[in-house]
Amino acid sequence: MRSFSEYNPIVTAIWFFCVTGIAMFCNYPVLMLISLAGAIVFFIMRNGLSHGKTHLFFWILFAVLALANPLVSHNGKTVLFVMNHNPVTLEATLYGLNSAVMIIGVLYWFRSFTQIMTSEKLLYITGALSPKLSLILSMALRYVPLFSRQSAKISSAQKAMGLFSDDNIIDDLKGKSRIFSIMVTWALENGIITADSMEARGYGTGRRSQMRRFGFRGADIALLIASLLLFGITAAAVGTDSLSFEFYPALNAGAPDTLGILGIISYGLLIILPMIIETEVNLRWKYLRSGI
Amino acid sequence: MLLIKNKCLRSFIRIFVPFILIPVITVAGALAFDEKKHIIIALAVAVSALLLFAAGFEKKSTGTRRMVIVAVMVALSFAGRFIPFLKPIAALTIITALYLGGEAGFLVGALSAVLSNFYFGQGPWTAFQMLAWGLIGLFAGILSEKLLGSRPLLLLYGALTGIAYSFIMDIWTVLWYNQGFDIKLYLAALVSAVPYTVSYAVSNVLFLFLLAKPFGEKLSRIKIKYGV
Repeated sequence: MRSFSEYNPIVTAIWFFCVTGIAMFCNYPVLMLISLAGAIVFFIMRNGLSHGKTHLFFWILFAVLALANPLVSHNGKTVLFVMNHNPVTLEATLYGLNSAVMIIGVLYWFRSFTQIMTSEKLLYITGALSPKLSLILSMALRYVPLFSRQSAKISSAQKAMGLFSDDNIIDDLKGKSRIFSIMVTWALENGIITADSMEARGYGTGRRSQMRRFGFRGADIALLIASLLLFGITAAAVGTDSLSFEFYPALNAGAPDTLGILGIISYGLLIILPMIIETEVNLRWKYLRSGI
Repeated sequence: MLLIKNKCLRSFIRIFVPFILIPVITVAGALAFDEKKHIIIALAVAVSALLLFAAGFEKKSTGTRRMVIVAVMVALSFAGRFIPFLKPIAALTIITALYLGGEAGFLVGALSAVLSNFYFGQGPWTAFQMLAWGLIGLFAGILSEKLLGSRPLLLLYGALTGIAYSFIMDIWTVLWYNQGFDIKLYLAALVSAVPYTVSYAVSNVLFLFLLAKPFGEKLSRIKIKYGV
């Protein structure tokens, strides 16, 4: 019993890239709507109704993106009205709306992705690709809080020596830049010491180990195969033009054939997969607790 | 690379990706897809360029000290991204490239992009940001002798790369929005991005002006003292 975010990071990442890949590289309106709806439901499932600012920002951006296209592009047959001697067409409006749905959907997906892919999981993935890059990333992540602690220390030391006062702007700036300069020197020296210490303890002599082990369990493999299969069907439907939708010069929606319908269904299933996992976990958890 | 242990295979990739795979993707993509799918080609080229770099970096026996210095610079530029309106990442990337070489510059640019985006939001643009900032560092490393010799030239390089960065990212915005390149939308995007373009160029020039000399002194001191 694991929630979706506890699956193997490689599997989770592949699932994300399958979903966003289709959403980014295809402009079939039904798929875009599925992607946007799924992204919002997924985000709300994970966060509840908090993050009001994020939602607000996304929907303002949605309005801007949807309006940008009809104002700039004047392709299309059906003229709705004329503004500043430029025709605003139905086709361009719908195209802009479709693009906005696509972009906001992908933005929601990536917001959830950022939440699920913690830095630890990122290190697991980059460690599999390139251990050296993974080391640099993990050290840099550690340095950021370390630097803020160290500069607080330097600042109190400087204050104790009476070297800087806050009430004068020029003095303040001078003091801050001195602290920054000291901090950078310290950081570089400290880095060298860290490196020597690492080498003395045998860095690079064997394979690197992870703090947390993410094994490949049965459920991981099942999720991986299911994602790739569903992605394959959808990609085949998109690639073979079974799902074609022309905006210009006039709206032209060919009825999807069998492969097209299969593609739409499998994309829907692909998006629902983690929601099923989360719901199942929640229900089981409730059931177990009710048994106590 | 851990996934590719075989040496022959790795060197094969080093030759195969830049000289065969990227041109093939570009040409075949232009022929096979219609205009709407250019974004796939752009993303594929960006990702394969980054992979190529990772493969090359893994093969070299880069010293531990050098790697840690790169990590320090990445952390500094990550922290610098929290400064409102000004963006010191490109300037720090250029400074690193001048003193530690183009490869270190590429790493600082690319890794700062991917790390700070964990805070500022990952997205399909991450690959392009990584590539853009990385290339700014790589070219600064190639031009390092000239740039180190003349300060106005360095500031000019900073201003130009700031503008170029914004222009390149706007190409990506248009490709993504429109699924094909449209010159009118591109111009509109450029105009709407003017404040960002100005802020990139100004912060590059400002931070290079302020930081190039002190950072240079510190980095060369470390280089001499510890032989990085």
